[in-house]
Amino acid sequence: MQQQQPQAQPSPSPKPKKKVRVPKVVNGVEQMVEIEVDADAGPGWGPNDKHKLLNQRYTRVDGPLKATGVAKYTYDQRLPGMLYARVLRSPHAHARVTKLDTDDASKIPGVKAIIPAPLTEVRFAGAPVAAVAATTPEIAGDALRAIKVTYEVLPHVVHAHHAIRPDAPKVLADENNLAEKAKNGDAQKAEAAFATADAIVEGEYFTARIHHVCLETHGMVVDYRGGDTATIYASTQGTFTIHEDAAKELGLPINAVTTTVEHMGGGFGSKFGLGLEGLLACRLSKQTQSPVKLMFTRYDEFVMAGNRSGSWQKLKAGVKNDGTIVALQARQYRLGGVGQGSQAGQPFIYRMGDTYREVYALHTNEDSSIAMRAPGFPQASFAVETLVDELAYKIKMDPVEFRKKNLRDEVYHRQLERGAREIGWSRRNPVAGGNTGPLKRGMGCAVGTWGGGGNNQCKVDVTISRDGSVLVAVGTQDLGTGTRTYTRAIVAEELGLGIKDVKERIGNSKLGAANPSGGSTTAPSLSPSVKDAAIKARMLMAERVAPLLGNPKPEEVLFADATVSANSRTLSWQQAVAALPAAGITSHGEWRADLQARGIHGVCFAEVEVDVETGHVKPIKMVHIQDGGLPLNRLTMESQINGGMIQSLGMALWEGRVMDAQLGMMLNPGMGDYKVPGSLEMPEMVPLIDDEDKREAVIGIAEGCIIPALGALANAVFNATGVRVRETPITPDKILMGLMNSTVLSRQ
Amino acid sequence: MKAFEWTNPSSVGEAVKMLGVSTPGDIDEAPRPIAGGQDLLTTIKDYTSRPVRVVNLKNIRGLNQIKVSGRGLTIGALVTLSELEEHADVRKSFPGLVEAVHSIATPQIRNLGTVGGNLCQRPRCWYFRLEEVNCLKKGGSECYAANGENKYNAIIGGGPSYIVHPSDLAPMLLALGASVTVVGAKGKRTVPLDKFFTLPSEGNIRRENVLKNEEIITEIVVPSSPVAAHSTYLKFKERESLDFALASAAVAVQLGDNREVKDARIVLGGVAPIPWRVPAAEKFVTGKSLTPEVLAETAKIALAEARPLEKNAYKVPLAQTLVRRALAKAGA
Amino acid sequence: MTKSRDNRDDHDPGRRKFLKGVGIAGAGAAIADHLWVEAEAAERPATPESLSGTVKVVLDVNGQKREAQVEPRTTLLNTLRNHLDPAVTGPKLVCDVGTCGACTVLLDDKPVYSCLVLAVDATNKKITTVEGLGTPEKPNAVQSAFVENDALMCGFCTPGFVTTISAYLKKNPNPSPAEVREACKGNFCRCGTYPRVFEAALAAAKGSQA
Repeated sequence: MQQQQPQAQPSPSPKPKKKVRVPKVVNGVEQMVEIEVDADAGPGWGPNDKHKLLNQRYTRVDGPLKATGVAKYTYDQRLPGMLYARVLRSPHAHARVTKLDTDDASKIPGVKAIIPAPLTEVRFAGAPVAAVAATTPEIAGDALRAIKVTYEVLPHVVHAHHAIRPDAPKVLADENNLAEKAKNGDAQKAEAAFATADAIVEGEYFTARIHHVCLETHGMVVDYRGGDTATIYASTQGTFTIHEDAAKELGLPINAVTTTVEHMGGGFGSKFGLGLEGLLACRLSKQTQSPVKLMFTRYDEFVMAGNRSGSWQKLKAGVKNDGTIVALQARQYRLGGVGQGSQAGQPFIYRMGDTYREVYALHTNEDSSIAMRAPGFPQASFAVETLVDELAYKIKMDPVEFRKKNLRDEVYHRQLERGAREIGWSRRNPVAGGNTGPLKRGMGCAVGTWGGGGNNQCKVDVTISRDGSVLVAVGTQDLGTGTRTYTRAIVAEELGLGIKDVKERIGNSKLGAANPSGGSTTAPSLSPSVKDAAIKARMLMAERVAPLLGNPKPEEVLFADATVSANSRTLSWQQAVAALPAAGITSHGEWRADLQARGIHGVCFAEVEVDVETGHVKPIKMVHIQDGGLPLNRLTMESQINGGMIQSLGMALWEGRVMDAQLGMMLNPGMGDYKVPGSLEMPEMVPLIDDEDKREAVIGIAEGCIIPALGALANAVFNATGVRVRETPITPDKILMGLMNSTVLSRQ
Repeated sequence: MKAFEWTNPSSVGEAVKMLGVSTPGDIDEAPRPIAGGQDLLTTIKDYTSRPVRVVNLKNIRGLNQIKVSGRGLTIGALVTLSELEEHADVRKSFPGLVEAVHSIATPQIRNLGTVGGNLCQRPRCWYFRLEEVNCLKKGGSECYAANGENKYNAIIGGGPSYIVHPSDLAPMLLALGASVTVVGAKGKRTVPLDKFFTLPSEGNIRRENVLKNEEIITEIVVPSSPVAAHSTYLKFKERESLDFALASAAVAVQLGDNREVKDARIVLGGVAPIPWRVPAAEKFVTGKSLTPEVLAETAKIALAEARPLEKNAYKVPLAQTLVRRALAKAGA
Repeated sequence: MTKSRDNRDDHDPGRRKFLKGVGIAGAGAAIADHLWVEAEAAERPATPESLSGTVKVVLDVNGQKREAQVEPRTTLLNTLRNHLDPAVTGPKLVCDVGTCGACTVLLDDKPVYSCLVLAVDATNKKITTVEGLGTPEKPNAVQSAFVENDALMCGFCTPGFVTTISAYLKKNPNPSPAEVREACKGNFCRCGTYPRVFEAALAAAKGSQA
């Protein structure tokens, strides 16, 4: 932003602070919190409509590498002498390993090491029991099957409605299957408030366990061949979350271990830390003094790499005929297997008068849930948006108007109105199932929120060399969100250059620190530091070229169109960089709170067509409107919104883990039976950026756009059919049975 | 994937010989023929098959051809699904067959998968496909689907195993009156498709058809028939992009001068351990005009034998819909 | 090449091609309806060559003859990625059972899942991977359109999509949106790039025609 007049602060020293108030979302409730920023914090981003690159559409800098197969992922690493590792999984949901006989396995030619997994009692089927390293993955597979494991099989329970019974096998040693986690609100007040309601809706809502299905499975290549150093190639969302634990396993100093992640094939919340795969790979590498590649198989990935917890929610709400919701009772079970699960507290983002909720973890012999894009939010959203829809129908009020009535934040109101226009809400038949013929159209909507703020972790270096090249370096990782691309763009824009004039280095733990990419925190954590470094680089350079431009103050030097000018004198970029010292100049950027914000809003509208004679749901159109302050790149932001809608669509209609009660095993640990949506499932998709949001601040939006779609789709299915399916995925069997029985289904 | 020996016979005789010269400890360790490999390799990867030898059929001369004559259509077992789909004469004369082949899997699979292989696919039941589960069809003592997660399993003809046959070609070919030529150590035999597939209760429960270990299909013969021109295949998938049938209906009819049904073949897929022909429904509809009432009643009769398990009752109305729609379409 | 059993004297690698030619003109034509020459049954069948252990294969990958030591069970995908030197890692291992499309390569110009092809079965065939379609400096129309339309995010499914669509546009240079969807229904993406994959395919078709 060449128009701005930055005040350079190149040397970090204690500075006076000012306090600013920023919104923060806790459990779906937005609060204003006060934070401190530097009193003389430099220039901001400027108005959102005044950018040359940012808030425009520009293509990914790594696009050509990815489209031609040249981009190297962790899975693509192949090092001299590298061994391939595989993990042996327990077939039992609960058992003690009493004997591990590796004699036959270790005799197989090509098998180089077999190690036990670091646990003796397994609490879910698929739990790792041992790991093997061999010269080919095929031989490693042979070795796994030659290991003889003796198990003492213990009782298990994998279905929530079994696990909640008092006589169910106990899943964890130190916690009951049903473990109370929170009670909020006044139970008696909520109970009393129902007396003032004109109508009451009560229901049980389920969401299935969802898998991340990262196309690149979890895994690492640990390159340790003895000696003093090691390199870890990791498919991770956190470049800096690995080397410390890896060093411990390898017996090396922390700074002797470098983690690199050039490109990674999807994480969605599941890839942080060394993990079991990294731990086993380190041990195998240490034992064999050879590089070891341990990438999970697809089956491993489904049963060992985590999942989004399921949910079981019992909700009861009362509403007045004028549309005011007056009371809510909620009993929320988080279905996180041996883990705690996650679920936003009800009533999520709605105002529901007197509310009372109890939250429990309900354990089963399944692997622990972990973070997945907006952890706990889609589960809460599905239940409450379905409930809200039911309330609206009950009092015969338009669902859009009903939502506006019970949502405080005006941003949702404008987004709901825009969404209604975009989808053509006026075409909607208000009578559920009221359309004629077997192919019935229906529409639904839902809203969502997320924080999306950043934190102070990123240290960014910008170097301008005397040959004119510009390098921005930070250890962060690009999950496919476009981090590389906007990192370049921020620097290019600040220096008045084109995006091709700047190069970036990321994905290496020897570079400047960066936060792990979770909870939509990357852009709001990273971009302020990049901006800060870019401004500082610009000021440093301005000082150097000032003598050539009649000695202007640094902030008076204009950087634009690959020229540097002041006092009516103009230097080409090459002329300007000639004034730099031989070593060039390097600036160090720090995070600035005033360049980011938190608190986002989104709404989704969906139209579906349901064949009521087959139960088939065809998504016709989806619209998602998302605010997010300053869009760093409209092209990639729209892709993110599409991605959120599509993942939510998958949750709504096809995806869900299926467990067998007797065997205690997952029955669909593959991409054939665990059905992520494909090309023929896609509706017309309309990703919309809410430019009414004038905040000149970067906010993360990835989580926000996965939350509301499944509720919107569920409500659209109801509008189309008159069948209320309160359980995801909303598959044809449930719709057909609903039509046959005219009852609400719940099978869990 | 267990290691195996690979062999490249260049004649049917050599192939049969190579399939026969081994005495496996278990039927699933016997040598297996490979054509497109699109199913076989998945079964080897999940250890459902552990063949000591894989016998490549693709070098055998002649079996990759489609021949059309007055007597009908002869499809070499090695013809790929794509070749069948794109064959001009097939497209002209066998619309239902083209619909059936098009409904299979994905373009990539159809480019390698063969017609013979499609008929010989192993079941997709998730219990069967999980390496850790020793179900009835793998020599174990229990069909876990019977009382387990049986949403995708059989509603007709099941017991003691409740698999469904995964082939899309089989119901359509059966409706068209096709037979297969099978060659084994004792020479050649012709097996009508309605005698080719075996129910778990009557055949070898470890297999889905009459083929012996050393036998292979060399060709599929579809006779000329007036019903071929009015044939259709409707497949219902949970996920349209890539899925097996939750249910399907293959229908072929011959219409009289007043558009009444003179001959009808109705075969259900995805609902039984074999492609399931419904003679009672065929008989009912024969001689009648395809009014909405007749369609509904035919569909009802077609599913009269259904005995759903706990979680697949939805397949009854689903399959009825498909029968109704397929009949209406074929008779249009 | 290890020969565990062998009493034949012709293992000409060109034999397959030769036989295919003969099949069409010869055997098939001789018998009107039956494709298999029954007379053959009278011959005492020979025992064909068998391969086991580790064997050498020569593959034609992106126009180059590439050698590798593999087992009969080694898939083409694993051969490209783990056994060729330098490795060909454009095709990705994602599901390994033909349910995702990330390993798609062209075998004699047709898209197939390389996880469901054995290397020993891919000799004497033309193998084209995404690397053979274009380079970052000289991308093909589909690759360019993927970048321009932001048809990729994490990029792990991208080589498969690019390969599938590149082959499809050769077959059908002017597809409808519905045909594009049908053509890539065997390729799955998790980040959610589909709408832009469709746009890229249509843009590439349009661009190639212009």
